[in-house]
Amino acid sequence: MHWYAQGMPREPSRSEPPFAALLLEQASALYNFARYLCRDPAEAEDLVQDAFARALNAQGSFVIGSNLRAWLFRILRNTFLDAKRRQRKQPLSDHEQDELEATSGDAWLRGDIEIDRLRAFVARDIEAALNRLSDDARAVILLDLEGFTETEIANVMDTAVGTVKSRLARARALLRLELKEYAK
Amino acid sequence: MSDCQRTRDQLLDVVRGRLAEPQRTQMTAHLQTCADCRRLVERERALERALELRPRFPLPERLRETLTATMTGAKVESGTRRPRPRLARWAAVVVPSLAAALLAVMLVRGPAGSRQPLVDEAINDHLRVLYAQHPIEIESGGIHQVKPWFAGKLDFAPVLQFSGDEEFPLQGGAIAVFVDRKAATFVFKHRLHLASLFVFRGQDLSFPSRTDRPIGGPSATSAASRGFNVLLWRDHDLGYALVSDMDPNSLARLAEKLAAP
Repeated sequence: MHWYAQGMPREPSRSEPPFAALLLEQASALYNFARYLCRDPAEAEDLVQDAFARALNAQGSFVIGSNLRAWLFRILRNTFLDAKRRQRKQPLSDHEQDELEATSGDAWLRGDIEIDRLRAFVARDIEAALNRLSDDARAVILLDLEGFTETEIANVMDTAVGTVKSRLARARALLRLELKEYAK
Repeated sequence: MSDCQRTRDQLLDVVRGRLAEPQRTQMTAHLQTCADCRRLVERERALERALELRPRFPLPERLRETLTATMTGAKVESGTRRPRPRLARWAAVVVPSLAAALLAVMLVRGPAGSRQPLVDEAINDHLRVLYAQHPIEIESGGIHQVKPWFAGKLDFAPVLQFSGDEEFPLQGGAIAVFVDRKAATFVFKHRLHLASLFVFRGQDLSFPSRTDRPIGGPSATSAASRGFNVLLWRDHDLGYALVSDMDPNSLARLAEKLAAP
């Protein structure tokens, strides 16, 4: 075990303005996503800053012409997962895993909620219900609401397209169940 | 696949009107005859409307400023950077050298243009720590391994008693150049914020005469610029610059620990 450091370059070059500008254009959407992932404003700010730092350093790996937005969301989510790993938290608790498993098959289709009640919810109810979902379930719902295609979500979440489809369906079913509980 | 199963598989496509012909016509026909599937679609539409009510969190202005500052001052190692024109390449080599020399003169002899040149220097050095590809490699667990690492690399011994704790764990060490001299760099972490402490020989540098932040032994000068908070202080022959984007009170708490006798 030892410390060592590599020399730090003295003269920082400025990033390419168009690339930096494109990153900044996505800052609002990334922060909104980060807020839902972290469920805490200060942590969300930290996460966005870390993700931007990673994006700048990984600029060379970005393929010009590919989907910058999906690339950034992927970096942000990976940064979030890394932070959670560092905190020695599991991405999905056993309880959450059980919950997901319990809704496999057709069970989720039978979990119903009265449609009129669903219409009566307000913003904070929806936020509270979203916040009670697992990180993965919340992420897949929000990425879908951000307008990403299933292929793009698969890229962001580093999984197969078919998995995204089933995860999204289950996550929305879980959200309905959470809202049902909330409405009691 | 039955029509009901197909409806369940394509529920979101139905709700969002993404089905192409002839699937759309087939689906419409099925929904007219199947009450269960109609209910599923209506339930999904209701959830979609409810989700539209979710709060949208606007980007805090402070964060926007911080991101903008780091975007325009960051060190970026990129393989995709376009080749610069010849004049620009020449300028890229010459101008920073001239600027560095001019900055060194300004900082050593006293401020001429910038009102807070040491603050700017500290922030620029902190940005280099943040955005260097591999500024620090961490394989250790304590200050007693960091300080010996500086032996032979500096012409002074950095005085630092604080070895990090749970609130501010020590992340690593490195050599930096502060103005015109070498500095020992210690990087601490607070939640997800990094803080850089630069320790350097303090003679001939124009420290601000006004101090406004007691930090235990010495008193420091606080400043905020480009979304970063900075604390500068002197202790005997050494100068200290502590920089981070963490909140000022947390940074002062770290400074108190660092400056404790």
